[in-house]
Amino acid sequence: MQLWHSLLQLSVLASTALPTAAAASAWGYTDATVSVHTKGAGVGASFKKVIPDNKALSKPVSLGSADTLKVTLTAQEGRTAKRAHQVFLFLQDPETGLDIAYPFSVKENGKSRIELTQKDLPVQFLSVSEPLDARLLIGSFGEADAYDGTAFKLTVARNPNEPVPTLEVSRYGKLPEIHHIFKTDAQSPPLVITLVFLALVLAALPVLGGVWLVLGVNLNHLPTAFKSAPLPHAVFLGSLFAIQGIFFLYYTSWNLFQVLPAVAVAGTVAFISGSRALGEVQGRRLAGLR
Amino acid sequence: MMRWCLSFFLFGFLAVVNALSSSGNRLLVVLEDASEQSNYSTFWEDLKARGYDIAFESPKNDKLSLFELGERAYDHLLLLPPKSKGFGPSLSPKNIVDFLNKDGNVLLALSGKSTTPSAISSLLLELDLHLSTDRSSIVVDHFNYDTISAAEKHDVLLLQRPGQLRPDTKSYFDGEGVLALPRVAPHTLGDNILIAPILRAPATAYSYNPKEENAAIEDIAATGSQLALVSTLQTRSSSRFTLLGSVESLQDKWFTATVKAPGSGKETTTVNQEFAKQLTAWTFKETGVLKVGKIEHHLAQDEITAQDLNPTIYRVKNETVFSIEVSEYSYDKFVPFELPADDALQLEFTMLSPFHRLKLKPAYHTENSTVFRTQFTVPDQHGIFSFRVNYKRPFLTNIEEKHEVTVRHFAHNEFARSWKISGAWVWIAGLWSVIGGFMAFVAVWLYSEPTSAKVKKNQ
Repeated sequence: MQLWHSLLQLSVLASTALPTAAAASAWGYTDATVSVHTKGAGVGASFKKVIPDNKALSKPVSLGSADTLKVTLTAQEGRTAKRAHQVFLFLQDPETGLDIAYPFSVKENGKSRIELTQKDLPVQFLSVSEPLDARLLIGSFGEADAYDGTAFKLTVARNPNEPVPTLEVSRYGKLPEIHHIFKTDAQSPPLVITLVFLALVLAALPVLGGVWLVLGVNLNHLPTAFKSAPLPHAVFLGSLFAIQGIFFLYYTSWNLFQVLPAVAVAGTVAFISGSRALGEVQGRRLAGLR
Repeated sequence: MMRWCLSFFLFGFLAVVNALSSSGNRLLVVLEDASEQSNYSTFWEDLKARGYDIAFESPKNDKLSLFELGERAYDHLLLLPPKSKGFGPSLSPKNIVDFLNKDGNVLLALSGKSTTPSAISSLLLELDLHLSTDRSSIVVDHFNYDTISAAEKHDVLLLQRPGQLRPDTKSYFDGEGVLALPRVAPHTLGDNILIAPILRAPATAYSYNPKEENAAIEDIAATGSQLALVSTLQTRSSSRFTLLGSVESLQDKWFTATVKAPGSGKETTTVNQEFAKQLTAWTFKETGVLKVGKIEHHLAQDEITAQDLNPTIYRVKNETVFSIEVSEYSYDKFVPFELPADDALQLEFTMLSPFHRLKLKPAYHTENSTVFRTQFTVPDQHGIFSFRVNYKRPFLTNIEEKHEVTVRHFAHNEFARSWKISGAWVWIAGLWSVIGGFMAFVAVWLYSEPTSAKVKKNQ
């Protein structure tokens, strides 16, 4: 809003400035100087310039942290030096439109002076990138048109090693967006490595079978066993396979309450048929076949 | 007085027909000098036409009270500047702050013609609005004054109506035309989040005490746009306080005055009447009032039944949709709420601190509301979360919505099965090869003929 206001202000002034220059009774100034004196430096070290009457300096004025800015002028109405009610040094940040005005100390004869240091400036002006616009406002009651014109540009020089004071203000407004950062999903190793180890694991079975064959493993007693006790052997082996099958179903789809009764049934069958089948095996041992 | 009585009856009937403020129509006008009432007749008529039931009271009336049996006796309070030292015991700063705390709205007008009483100054201090220390300063501007009525004193400011306060706020006070503010008592604003300026002085303006003899201004607290002419404070409960620096701007005289800016400015008629309407409408909650309608959240799926709406529990990483319906009151009805260009209505998904803060985008409009919606993935953290919409902006009533939900972990049967994880294949294969090996071993143990026995026999 400030910027909007000041823009409006400028446009109003632009439209009024031209005719006022020609008008007989208008405020202005003469004998204006701007000087910058550095504290502790010699007398000759200070910077001093004469501001042309009712015009602006072309080069910016620099104000360091130990400097004092001094502006003197003589306010005049028309051509006569006179005391004005308002003699202000008006500073504005061209970027944000933030403005502040400093009153001159004015004498009866219109002679006015002001001294300004960085301490007098608002904190916001210490961190501006563009030079500030320094304007002179001279006006008073009555008919005479007030004067508002740029006098010079003011650069606020900061020691780069000193931190720029900042001002924290809280205002209601939208806040930065936040997107939750999710933990990364669990990763599997490369498929090739998995397949190599898978092959190694699966190779254990053929290796076991091969070793058994070398050692002379056979199923020579199978016909004998099934001839002497066909039902117990078939049921025993079947129930063992059934238990593994139940475990497989538990792994894929069944829950514990489906698994437990099924295992109880298969287990009982395995126990009863197993005692018969193992009795037959014992018979073979007693016969000296094993 | 007779004419006023007549218009009262006329507008009394109109008031029944016409719409009202969103928060009641009982308006108390505190006016010390009853003879001054006629200076503002157009202003009263405008208010009555908008449905306000105006009671005029003098602060000297002993029976005057803002409260009745502990409740507000009025919905809105309009204070005109007193001539005496203050408004008296019934309108002490504490009572006025209590009135604000009970959701009453206050419009306080000051005048630069006389010294502002210290009671008002201490009321304003409570609200972090500061008057000049002498309390009798007025604003002058040698660049923007009315050359017709204040050619010498320059104390009638001519201003454009204010635009947007910031690019992300709504403007309820803008429009064409020139405002004339005669003899404004300025104030400065404290650094308070609840305060928003409506109208600031022009950059070239400054304040001075007209009682001090013609000495040039050398020591001033604030100049230019640091001086506020009209400011507002909206409390956390959304009741409103407006400070108007120039009570004279509400007078009939200035509603239709012809003014001319210095220089080549043309003569124009002021728009004070329209601005007074905007100002009272905002203060008495006819504008800038938000209402939240339906709030819905559910899983992102194509078909939503009533049971799927607003569940109390979500799982981590669920895709979730949240929508909120917002309407804005505009003079006499609710209309769909439109966000300012740079602003955003934001949804926070919070457990202690926000995990998500997302923009709610307008999805569709109904006849008198806008539905804002967003979709997001529930964070991978279980706990008690809440959907929060905390929308507080200058000139708008506060929206503070909080809806709690539980976020649970994956259930044991919601994880991916082990065979889908390639890294698990080795272990699965190991298990089943052991089982296969065991079954083979059982068969071998049962049916294998010992080779060593054969060898022994043969020998």
